[in-house]
Order: sequence, then structure tokens, then C-alpha cells
Amino acid sequence: MENKNVKISVKELRKSFGHLEVLKGMNVEVCEGEVVCLIGPSGSGKSTFLRCLNALEKITAGSVIVDGYDLTDKKNHNINKVRENIGMVFQHFNLFANLNVIQNIMLAPVELKKMTKQEAHTRGMELLEMVGLSEKAEVYPSKLSGGQKQRVAIARALAMNPDIMLFDEPTSALDPEMVGEVLEVMQNLAKNGMTMVVVTHEMGFAREVASRVIFMDEGIIVEEGTPQEVLQNPKQPRTIDFLNKVL
Amino acid sequence: MSFWGLIRENGIYLTVAMGKTLELTFLSLVFAAVIGLFFGLLNVSRYKAFNIIANVYIDCIRGVPLIVLAFFVYFGVPMATGVRLNALVAGIISLSMNAGAYMAEIVRAGIQSIDKGQMEAARSLGLSYGTSMRKVVLPQAIRVMIPSIINQFIITLKDTSILSVIGFPELVKAGQIVIARNFETFKMWAIIAVMYLIVITTLSKIARALERKISYGK
Repeated sequence: MENKNVKISVKELRKSFGHLEVLKGMNVEVCEGEVVCLIGPSGSGKSTFLRCLNALEKITAGSVIVDGYDLTDKKNHNINKVRENIGMVFQHFNLFANLNVIQNIMLAPVELKKMTKQEAHTRGMELLEMVGLSEKAEVYPSKLSGGQKQRVAIARALAMNPDIMLFDEPTSALDPEMVGEVLEVMQNLAKNGMTMVVVTHEMGFAREVASRVIFMDEGIIVEEGTPQEVLQNPKQPRTIDFLNKVL
Repeated sequence: MSFWGLIRENGIYLTVAMGKTLELTFLSLVFAAVIGLFFGLLNVSRYKAFNIIANVYIDCIRGVPLIVLAFFVYFGVPMATGVRLNALVAGIISLSMNAGAYMAEIVRAGIQSIDKGQMEAARSLGLSYGTSMRKVVLPQAIRVMIPSIINQFIITLKDTSILSVIGFPELVKAGQIVIARNFETFKMWAIIAVMYLIVITTLSKIARALERKISYGK
């Protein structure tokens, strides 16, 4: 880890909603090309943690440094610029309902003047090809299945050519038979060296793809390590308990 | 005189007055839309101060009858400032201020009906709040708002009749002038009622056809 390029550095991150403290001091470092899977019971703060990484949630205390920008120090960066470099995929897809598939993908690159319409269209079609949905370019999101929506959402996030991808339970809202197609796309991304932070309940995916697994409970990191260490030989009783329930 | 005779005699005069009524309605609604969008956006803003400004405006306007607002703008303001407004300008100001308050509520409700995930997804791509609103949230919100906007349109069209009190020559005022001459009270008001009915029904039919047309891929 020492000689690698650190992409995300989180120190003593705390997040409260009113009186409820959801994150109680998280310390995480993610290096370039790493795939970090966050697992843990519902309500453990996994999604909140992920949403702090692109400042969708306001950070209560501590520091989150992404690409060298300290997200807690509003003066030294423009959050929109930082977000251009961090793709995010949501549990409920959140495709823009007023735009068709290719427009969904083209919107950000064109609006942010990263590409001309022509370039964005070409890039969009490449990405659709990559996720196996070229023939759906002109279709509106309401006509797609859950798995197709999520693959479009991944393509949309990739259109900005981000260095980092965040996945917030990308397969939790899918019918079981559609989980595979989405995981496959994610697996290919990981293979191509994308830095990824994935909140997931897919232990199979974590085992095969993750470079590191973090088990969270009640707003703290209980255990972290390689998939073998955490999933095969967990040391903490809470981890063992959780894994017994889900496997 | 028969209905037909009355229509033949006053038809053109009343049609012109209906034209004035529609002119007043359209112009007022254009300004009301701008006012409504402005205060509606203030109302959904994260900043408390903006919410308060919007709510003060909405409460003040909704708490004052249109006729009082019209008297205030047409008679009151010139008295205090010395600037004399003609009836059309005073009418447009009062109607658009009034309809603007209701439009602001329509805009707020429309925006709030759109899933938060749409804004979050747009922001996560690096788009600004304004761009996300303009390109993603508002286009969807407007679709939700259309039935309420049609409704407001009809209300405003009917509210123009209140401006007969400041002497604006819209349909009701024109009717009063005709009746003062021929005393055909029953028949004349019936004719005027039917004129409103035809115009309002036609416009709402057109608007509904439009509403169906802009529904995307659903």
C-alpha cells in the first residue's frame, strides 16, 4: 500500500443525523485500482459512509480526502469538479426519467463541456456496447428491466471517465435472475483496474472480486482484510455472527 | 329582443371584449409563471431565508382578496406615488401577483413530487444544482404540474371578471355596458355565461391533449 497512489483517505469520519450518530469514527484508505467491498447488516452505516465519499451527505466531523481534495474544506475545492471524477451507482438506479438511454449517458459530459455532442454520442454507444445494451439507446428508462436500468446507470457514470466508482447496493433492488448481468459488468470494470468502493450483500462477488473486504456494524469498522481473511476466517464474533446469517 | 337578435347586435362587441379577457389572462399567466417559478424555487431551496421569503409572499397574496389587490394597485399606488397605471397594466399586475402565489405552490409541489434520487444522481455526475434542476428535475416536475396549471389557467380566466371593477373593458364590463343600454339582463348574462363556458371548455380540452402529447415513453 505504501508505494501505491492513495485515491481516498478517510480519517475519523463521523456523521450524525440529528441526535443519531450513524458513523462513529471511520478510518479507511483506498488505493488506485483497489476494489473495496463494504459488508454489514442494514443500518450499519455502509451507505451513509459511501455517500460521504462524494459529499452527497454532509460530513459532521473528521476528514475525507478524495483525489487530494479535502471534502470537508469547502474553500479549497469545487465539489462539482471533484464529483466529475467519482462515478456513483445507486440501489434504485435513478436514471433520468425524462431522458432516453443515450441522453442519460450524454447529459453530464455535454453539459459540463467535457465532450461535444458527437463525441459524447460515440462514447455513449461504446459504453452501451460494453454493457450489452446498444439496441436500447433510444429507449426510455421506464421500458427497461431492473438489470438493464442498472447497466445503463453504470454506463452513465462511466461516461465522465471517472477514476473512482462508488456502488451503493447495486443489485439489492434487482430480481435474482438479473443480478448476474450487473455483477458481470462490475467484474469487468474491476479487471480493467477501476478503483471501486462497493456496498454489497453479494458475498460471492466480494469473495471473487474484492481486494479488500470491510465489515461494518453500528457505524464502526469491526474487521477488515482480504476476502480470505474476513469471509473465510473471520476473527471478530460479530463478523462470524453476521456471516453465519447471510451465507 | 330574441337571443339571436342580441347576439347579432352585440356579437362583435362582446367578442372583442372576450379577446381582451384572453389577452389579460395570457399575459397575466406568463408573468405568474415567472413569479411562480421564482418563489417555487426559493421554497424548495436548502436555505431557510429563501423559504421564508417565498412563504411570506405566498401568505400575503393568498390572504388578500383579488379585488382588494386590484383596488390597491389601481387606485392606491397612484395616490401614493403619483404614477398613474392604465387598467390593463394594473390588471396584469394584480392578476399575475395573485396567480403567481398559487403557481409558486404548484411549482413547489411539482418539484417535491420528483424522487430525490433524480437530483442526487445528477449531482453525483458533477452537475450543479441549477443544471440538475433545469435538465432533470424541472422537466419531470412540469409534467406533474400540468393539470394544476390548467386549473390555475381557468381560475385566472374567470378572475379577470373581477377587474371589471377597475373599468378594464373585459367581458363582464362589456356586458354591463350593453345591459345599461338595452336592459336585457337575463338574456345578456346567459349569453356571456355561455361565451365563458365555450372558451374555457375548449382551452381545457386543448390543454389536456397537450398533456398527453408530452408524456414521454410511458
